[in-house]
Amino acid sequence: MTSFLNDLISTFPAFIRAAWMTLQITGISLALALVIGLVFALMKVSGIKALSVIYSGYVGIIRGTPLIVQIMWLYFGITQIVVLSAFWAGTIALAIHSGAYIAEIFRGCIQSVDRGQMEAAESLGMKRGLAMRRIILPQAFKRAIPPMGNQFIIGLKDSSLVAFIGITEIFSLSMDNAAVTFKQLEFYTIAGLYYLAMVALFTYLLSRLEDRLDTAK
Amino acid sequence: MISVSNLHKYFGKLHVLKGVDLEVKAREVVVMIGASGSGKSTLLRCLNFLEMKDEGTITFDGREIDPTTTPLNTVRENVGMVFQHFNLFPHMTVLENVIEAPVHVKRTPKAQAIEQAKRLLDKVGLADKGDVYPEKLSGGQKQRVAIARALAMEPSVMLFDEPTSALDPELVGEVLEVMKGLAADGMTMVVVTHEMGFAREVADRVVFLDDGTIAEQGDPETFFSNPQHPKAKQFLSRVL
Repeated sequence: MTSFLNDLISTFPAFIRAAWMTLQITGISLALALVIGLVFALMKVSGIKALSVIYSGYVGIIRGTPLIVQIMWLYFGITQIVVLSAFWAGTIALAIHSGAYIAEIFRGCIQSVDRGQMEAAESLGMKRGLAMRRIILPQAFKRAIPPMGNQFIIGLKDSSLVAFIGITEIFSLSMDNAAVTFKQLEFYTIAGLYYLAMVALFTYLLSRLEDRLDTAK
Repeated sequence: MISVSNLHKYFGKLHVLKGVDLEVKAREVVVMIGASGSGKSTLLRCLNFLEMKDEGTITFDGREIDPTTTPLNTVRENVGMVFQHFNLFPHMTVLENVIEAPVHVKRTPKAQAIEQAKRLLDKVGLADKGDVYPEKLSGGQKQRVAIARALAMEPSVMLFDEPTSALDPELVGEVLEVMKGLAADGMTMVVVTHEMGFAREVADRVVFLDDGTIAEQGDPETFFSNPQHPKAKQFLSRVL
C-alpha cells in the first residue's frame, strides 16, 4: 500500500500534466461536437430531403465504425491530403465521433417538443427559423442536458483512445509507466482514479447546471 | 373579409373538405359546429395555413393568398389563433408569452409591448399573473393568456379551435366570457366549438358542417329552433 501511494505521489506532477491534456482534448472536441451535432440535427429537421440524407449518411458511418478506426484514419490515413498533428487528428476525430451521437440527442429532443409549439409560433407570424430559435430550441436544449451529460462523460473516457497516436494523456502515461516498472495493476488503477475524479467533477457540474435550469425554468 | 371558395383538403386518401364555400364579414362572429370528423377544425386551420388546402381559393380582404408566392407569416400576423391545448410557451412567463411576437415579429419596442401586454392581461382578468410560468396556471387561465397572446399582434380576425374542449367544466365559463367581450368589441371571429349556448348567444351566424361540406348555415335563432338539414336535426337532438 505504501509503495502504491509512493507511485501515486511520485507520478503526480506528470499525471496532472497528462490530465490537463485529457481535459483539453475532451473540452475542445466536445465544444466542436456540440456545433456539429446542432448543425446536423437542424439539417435533419429542416424538412429538406437532401440535408436529411446527408444526416443519415454521417450518423450511419460514424455510429457504424469504431472510434479507434476513425482516429487512425484521420491521423495516418488522411496524411496523404493534409497532415494533422496528433493532437488535432485526435481532437477532430473525437469531435466528429461525438458529434454524431450529439446530433441524435438534439434531433430527438427537437422532435420531442410538442408540434403545437411550432404551430402556435407560426400562428403568431413567426417564420420557421425564428420559431426554432426562440421557441423550439430553448425547450429542446433543456431536455438535452441529461443525455448530453452522459455523452460528455463518454467523450471524456473515449479520449483515452488518442493514446494510440502518441499523445501523452492519462492513459498513455499509465501505459508507459506500467511498461517501464512492470506495475501494471498499480498504474492502470492510478489511471482509473484520475478518470474517476474527472468524471465526478463533470457529474457535479452537470447536476448544478440542471438544478439551476430547473429553478429558472 | 375572408372568402373561401371550393376548398378541398385531403389527408392521404381521406377527403376531409369537399368543396367548402365560406364568407366571413368584418366584425362578424361565425361559429362552426358539427360532429367530430366533419372537417370543422381542418377548415379553421386552413384559414391560417396551418393546413395547406389542396384545391380552392382563400381570399383575405380581396387578396387571394397563394401559399407558394405569399410569405405566410405576413398573413398569419393578422390572423390570431387560439388552440384547444393552449400551446403556451412553457419556458417563458405569461408576460413573455404575450410580448414574444410583438417584439420579435412586429419589432415593437419592448417597453411598449410590455405596456400593451399588461393592458391585455388586465382585459382577460390576469393582470397579476404576468411573472408566473404557464405551468402554475389553471386551464382556464392558460387559455385566457393564449387569447391575450394572440390579441397582442392586433389581428384583424381571431380563430378559435375548440378553445374550451380541454377545460374542466367549471373553467369553461371564464374563457367564454372573454370571448363574448371580444365579440362585443367588434372583433371578427371564427369559432369552432361544442358550446351550443355560446353559439346561440354570441354567433351572428352558425355554420353546420357535415362530412366535409357545409350542410346548413344561418342565424342562430333560426338554426337552433328550426334546423332544415336532417343531419343538423340529428346533431342538435344529440347535443342539446
